[in-house]
Amino acid sequence: MHEPYLNTRVSAMAEHLVDPDEVMTLCGLSLPELAQRFGLEGLLEDSLDRRAKSRSVKQALINTLLDELRILIRPMAAAEAGLILAWGRKYALFNLKTLLRGKLYELDQAEIRANLFELPAHVRLPQQDLFQAEGVLELLRKLEQGPYSLIAKQAREVFEQKRDPFALEAAIDQRYYSEMARRLQQVHESSQPELKQLLGAVLDRVALMWLLRFRFSYALSPSETFYQLVPSVRLLHRDRLLTLVNLDSLEEIIAALPEPLKSALAGSQSAIEVQQRLGGYVTQEARRLLARGHSGVARSLAYLILREHGVLMLFALVQGQLLGLPRDLVEIAVEAHPPDCALPLQSAA
Amino acid sequence: MSVNKQQLLSAIQQQLLSLWALLRGFWAKLMAKAKPQLRAIAAKAEPQIRAIAAKVEPQISAIAAKVEPQTRAITAKAGPALRQVGPLAGQVWRELRSPDSWREIRLRPLLMKHVRLLVITDDLPQASLTLAETESFHPDTRPPEEQLLSGIPGRDYREIYQQAHGRLEKIAKVVTVDAEPDLDEVRVIERDELRAINEQLTERWAEASRFEEGFRRIDEQDRFIREQQASLENFSNLDIDLGALRNKTRFLDFYVGVVPRENVSRLQGAVTLADHLLFTYLERGQSAHVVIVGPRGEQESQLASVLSSASFQPLPIPVGLEDASPEQKQDELSAKRQQLQAERKALSAEVDAWEQAHRAFLRSARQVLQMAAPFVTLDPSIRSAGHLAVVCGWVPARALSELETRLRASLALPFELTSRDPTPAERPLVPTVASTNRLLAPFATLVKQYGIPQYGEVDPTPLFAVTFLLMFGSMFGDIGQGAVIAGAAWAFRAKLGSFYRFGVMAGLSSMFFGALYGSLFGYEDVLPALWKSPIHHPILMLQIALGYGVLFIAIACGLAIYNRLAVKDLAAALFAHHGAVNLLFYLALVWGAVSLATSGNFGSLPLILIILSLLMLAGYAWSHLKAPMGEKILVVFIETLETVIGYISNTLSFLRVAAFSLNHAALSLAVLTLAGMMGPAGHVITVILGNVFVLVLEGGIVMIQVMRLQYYEGFSRYFSGDGHEFSPLKLRRGPA
Repeated sequence: MHEPYLNTRVSAMAEHLVDPDEVMTLCGLSLPELAQRFGLEGLLEDSLDRRAKSRSVKQALINTLLDELRILIRPMAAAEAGLILAWGRKYALFNLKTLLRGKLYELDQAEIRANLFELPAHVRLPQQDLFQAEGVLELLRKLEQGPYSLIAKQAREVFEQKRDPFALEAAIDQRYYSEMARRLQQVHESSQPELKQLLGAVLDRVALMWLLRFRFSYALSPSETFYQLVPSVRLLHRDRLLTLVNLDSLEEIIAALPEPLKSALAGSQSAIEVQQRLGGYVTQEARRLLARGHSGVARSLAYLILREHGVLMLFALVQGQLLGLPRDLVEIAVEAHPPDCALPLQSAA
Repeated sequence: MSVNKQQLLSAIQQQLLSLWALLRGFWAKLMAKAKPQLRAIAAKAEPQIRAIAAKVEPQISAIAAKVEPQTRAITAKAGPALRQVGPLAGQVWRELRSPDSWREIRLRPLLMKHVRLLVITDDLPQASLTLAETESFHPDTRPPEEQLLSGIPGRDYREIYQQAHGRLEKIAKVVTVDAEPDLDEVRVIERDELRAINEQLTERWAEASRFEEGFRRIDEQDRFIREQQASLENFSNLDIDLGALRNKTRFLDFYVGVVPRENVSRLQGAVTLADHLLFTYLERGQSAHVVIVGPRGEQESQLASVLSSASFQPLPIPVGLEDASPEQKQDELSAKRQQLQAERKALSAEVDAWEQAHRAFLRSARQVLQMAAPFVTLDPSIRSAGHLAVVCGWVPARALSELETRLRASLALPFELTSRDPTPAERPLVPTVASTNRLLAPFATLVKQYGIPQYGEVDPTPLFAVTFLLMFGSMFGDIGQGAVIAGAAWAFRAKLGSFYRFGVMAGLSSMFFGALYGSLFGYEDVLPALWKSPIHHPILMLQIALGYGVLFIAIACGLAIYNRLAVKDLAAALFAHHGAVNLLFYLALVWGAVSLATSGNFGSLPLILIILSLLMLAGYAWSHLKAPMGEKILVVFIETLETVIGYISNTLSFLRVAAFSLNHAALSLAVLTLAGMMGPAGHVITVILGNVFVLVLEGGIVMIQVMRLQYYEGFSRYFSGDGHEFSPLKLRRGPA
């Protein structure tokens, strides 16, 4: 692996990231100003309708992100590239879920097609082949012949048992994060500590949000909730999750969380508030790693996470302008204001 | 100034002369030293080799005695095989005499026209069918220049076709469906007919998928019984009352079953939360056999949901396990598996019956889809406005009149067909028609590995074929081994397809050069050389190889110049890499080098030409470079130096042609020397194995070296390879 090259490349790319202090300024820009600032003029032509504009902007932003991913994995060794690629496959899984919903609810083919993203070859699903499938099971069986085999197999087994769309999508997400955790164990030990910090932050966030959602929104039993979770490699590991799922209220769970999550979430009244407060948890960790990390792979992933965050924020700004939403609503959507309680991440690291 | 120049010229001449003298001296010394040393090594090694040979010979004789019957059998079989030599020679002669073998050999691309077909939209399916029948229309998928032509007709036709095609392909995985049945009549497939076929295929696929599901269910049950058998094997070793596990007790809850291994860890945590314990007692493949035990109560329902999520399959504890012997239970399970086999057989019979019942429909559905395919393939190239539709594409100029005639005969409504020459800007888009000459076909495949000639470029295939055969034969010249290559290619012609001709021609070339060298299976003294043996004339071989290299590079540069002139790029033809000035430099360099070698004087004129051409190249590079002065000087200097070094090293690269012809003879000599130290049986075996070794190893290396010379020294000079192949719309008619 070419560590100095990768680090230089990441540092050069990081120059294009949106500065957190700039978000408020961006919220005040008009659509043409935003288009000019980010080179989106061609995608926001007047001849297109609102939906087409929104679609083409999102498509272009995703393509930019995945193109950068491809550039970054080029100098990496197989295991490291596999981990970063596994992270990028979430966009293929969006398409998979769209296809599955289309099959489940027998949607019109044109409508399904309109909601699929055109993805680059390194993460693309065999879409045309999947499109020909007559049902969910056939679709998943087709997908079992390729890089998505584990996800597809797990999803098919769950669907065969339960015939439940929710369980199907939960199985796909569960497998996606498990795959990331599994691949993390395969990377070179020099990159593992920093990657554990970063991926651990991602998995902590996912585990806590899922725990709250399954336990309190869907009222699943502790056993069932635990089964759906992916243990983190940082704070919310397996034993801690076993304790947390057995608690019966949000307050008890927050009180049982390790620091810095406990202090950060203290006083939260709902899962939505927790989500808002956790918003900066992953991005702060990614920023810290990008600025001070040594591992090229970990810094690449940190960059991609921040780039994705920036891309989604830009999309939210464009979408807000297209829909004519009031500025305060757009500011909430792009998390322009930092959470009430900043996370003392350094102590966790 | 003139004094300095003369001094400089003289100094360069002196340097080149001394370099040449050094090389010649080195070679002569090497040859002089090598012979006594090789003799000394041979003399030293001889007693050891003789000792080894004496030891090995009895074993080899014993092996030979053992294999004698087989050898006789092979010899008996070889008789008919050898009798194939006659037909092979006859076939080669017939092919060479056939006018077909010499047709379609061309260096220049086939002239193409851009056509624009304007038809009434209703006539589109018929028009696409006719275009497909002519097999001369390559669709142009660029959007039309006319703003009015914005509609895209036939989109829903394509959707229906793709659904129907997908379903038929899925059915073809369950039963046999002709991949490409013969078309009895060619007709337009209307949308309603296509829709009706699609609906019927939907029903047929629903039936066929039930068979597929049936087989899957049987496989799954079979797997599950095998798991039970493994489990029973395990239980039978336990000294516990398994009957107690079968039924839930008043206080205890038992689950015995199989889960995917990757789910065990999560399931273990989940059952712990429901106050149960999980034990893994057996792991087989991707499955884990587990026992879950815990108190009865409220947690049971929780657990049921988790077990379902974890794809837990309960294993029934066999009834009467405590009373019956494990063997008896195993027999019962084996009987169940046999029953499943019977079910599988019955289902296969059902599938056969279903296939018989629907064979005709499936065949006709395939035919309908074959006839609908051209319209679907053409779809991205069609644009319409109202009732008018336009299709654009590329057609070989010579096929244009026939295309128009066919359209006139088949289209009921008026149409307009216009054609024009491709514009210079369109040149990269024009497809290149590949040569269909059967002798060149395998060489065209190898050229295609590098790239497709761009329209206007010289097709390198004929030149590639000739130079390939020349180089391969000269590097691997042996009548016997060449005959083996040609014979093997002929024997496996059914498997090799049209590529067998490549093997036959390479073998014949090797035989031809073998006759020139007087080499037969490595023996240099059996046949008289029609020309000279390489091993005895190494300097001559090296000189010829260098001469050949110079000719090859000069031709490659000539083709590069022609290709640029063909696209009217005069500046590139003159000054770019391998352009006219480069060629001038190279020829002057060769001229000077030959003078130096023959008369000891490089010559003033070659030197002046070299300096002038290098100055022109440097000036051209300078004028095209936008950089600071320092960088400009550095880049131009390095580029010019690279030109000088590049041409010298590229020419020397051809020495390998001679080196391999020497290497071939030397390897054969080594094999024969080794064989000479054996007894009669050992001799034969060593010669056979040695020849196999030479054929496989050296043959492979020579092939790679020839390809390297072709790709690197030839194609990289004159062949861009970024064209695209002519791929006309076709009607798949089935076997002719």
